[in-house]
Amino acid sequence: MEVFEHLLLGLSVAITPANLAYLFVGVVIGMIVGIVPGFGPAAGLAILLPITFGMDPAGAVIMLAAIYYGAMYGGTITSILLNTPGESATVASTFDGYPLAQQGRAGPALVMQAVASFVGGTLGVILITALAPLFSHVARSFGPPEFFLLVMMGLLTLIAMIGGNWRYGVISALIGFALGTVGVDLETGQPRFTFGSAELIGGIDFIPIAIGLFGLGELLHAFYQGLHASGTGGIVQYQKERRFWPDLRDFVETRWAVVRGSLLGFCVGVIPGAGATVASLMSYSIEKSVSRTPEKFGKGAMAGLVGPEAANNAASSGAMVPLLTLGIPGSASTAVLLAAFMLWGLTPGPLLMTQKPEFAWGLIASMYLGNIALLALNVFAIPVFVQIIKLPYRILAPAVILVCTIGTYSVNGSIVETWLMFAAGVFGFFMKRLGFSPAALVLALVLGPLAEQSLRQSLTISRGSFMIFLERPLSLWILGVTAAVLLLGVLLRIPARR
Amino acid sequence: MRAGFLLAVLFVAGGYTWVAFAELSYLSSAGRLGPGFFPRIIGTLLVAICLASLWLDARRAAPPESPSPFLRVTMVVASLSAALVAAMYLVGGLLAMIAFMAAALWTLNRGRPLQNALIAVLLPLALYLMFRVWLNAAMPRGLLELPF
Repeated sequence: MEVFEHLLLGLSVAITPANLAYLFVGVVIGMIVGIVPGFGPAAGLAILLPITFGMDPAGAVIMLAAIYYGAMYGGTITSILLNTPGESATVASTFDGYPLAQQGRAGPALVMQAVASFVGGTLGVILITALAPLFSHVARSFGPPEFFLLVMMGLLTLIAMIGGNWRYGVISALIGFALGTVGVDLETGQPRFTFGSAELIGGIDFIPIAIGLFGLGELLHAFYQGLHASGTGGIVQYQKERRFWPDLRDFVETRWAVVRGSLLGFCVGVIPGAGATVASLMSYSIEKSVSRTPEKFGKGAMAGLVGPEAANNAASSGAMVPLLTLGIPGSASTAVLLAAFMLWGLTPGPLLMTQKPEFAWGLIASMYLGNIALLALNVFAIPVFVQIIKLPYRILAPAVILVCTIGTYSVNGSIVETWLMFAAGVFGFFMKRLGFSPAALVLALVLGPLAEQSLRQSLTISRGSFMIFLERPLSLWILGVTAAVLLLGVLLRIPARR
Repeated sequence: MRAGFLLAVLFVAGGYTWVAFAELSYLSSAGRLGPGFFPRIIGTLLVAICLASLWLDARRAAPPESPSPFLRVTMVVASLSAALVAAMYLVGGLLAMIAFMAAALWTLNRGRPLQNALIAVLLPLALYLMFRVWLNAAMPRGLLELPF
């Protein structure tokens, strides 16, 4: 019953006219961020973060969270109509979504993906509602060793799951940790790596780095790949199809794929570092393996579209659990959300749900409403978003660079930070180009201070013994989960190598 | 290119590690772990993994990749972005944004002068109004101290 009381409290926060307006703006922006190829939710969140400075904290975070999960919906439209995923979590949706569109079933595919996304997202929020208080309660018994291990778990999982060369992932994370050590040491007050600069005393701000890496860096990489020259000529003209709505058979045949995808996606999303991309790819593999007609996969199987869709939306909901209850983001997008929380003086963690219930539950309640709004937008406003797909990248990209630059400057009115954003953008371009991981860098930059503090506290408690990480049951449990996830990462790579 | 990038990271990581060992103490005056403890671990690991990557990559010796045909346009966009930041410092936010959009569209969207001119003026104006007037956010005024 307590959960329902909290949810009602949250609804009373979420349904104020201002917050409903922020929610609606957030889901629309999220859809747009999702459908622009080469531009993920982390970039969208980082760039739009400065725009929320004039809002009240609850409204701002409701809007940013809506951008985050809205991007998961939007990314699929380009996957189905253009065979180009709007963002990495919707890659799996191209496998069967585009073949369906080519067979004249773009309309049913778009509606079914919207319904699957809605079910996945809503089931994810229901599970957050049920489990977040439990997680929060358990997290209150976490000490410094557990927090250090959780940070390491998030980073190692991210590195293991992103694919590519793991050494480059580790280097990316270590660069993030190194950047996080710049500034005054919080325990002794001694400046580190500031070289006498007053600008560096407070440390390297996260926002210019995130905007640079995910905004400017991604755009430069998109130019390098020739996205500005590719055009949208191959877009499927779904308006010419005779039937837009799916038939009953589509719903009946794919109902279990949606349920499986939702549950799998939520579980994967809860694990820091795993994320929506991994969830959707795993869901696709599972659907193919349990299907009676696996030969149809890749040629237009509806289950191959709706399973991953439900999974990536449930995963984006699941990723809110470690963020809200532990203060540990599991991806670059949730790292930007964490930075947004902190900007308004909110510290996500075990005490957030008891000390700021109106905020935490307001956010959760807004996610129910956001998913309903996204379902309606995805079914009835597709023509509007198709027009956005047709916007030429050569015009869109300079406009985004303007927002990146002005947005960075507006945070602290600092031209030095604007140059830092530019430098991070160029660095991010090379990282993407050469197979390094900007996401690992940003996650380590955000989590670095927590990792250092909890490691130093742990070793102070244990008088320098690293056995503290093996002696506590909760630590052992986290180590066990980490080992299992890393093993899964290795197993997932074996078929790829074959 | 990757070896060059790794060498650059190694160079900076070497400097970071040197500062961590030379200038930051391992223990604080109270006998606890000091400000140099964590940076020493990070720096040492970073140097070690960079060296290992350089060695392993050199052994595999992948065939050199030809650069993208869009390298030039990428460099132009990066240069224009740098020029935008510099111009913001010199002439202020609004003029810098208009100049940047005009230059970027002139380079990327050739053959549409009217469309480019309209976008180059209207978009920066809209952003200026949104950030400066609606959000009351900071906007660079530049060395010339123009009123916008």
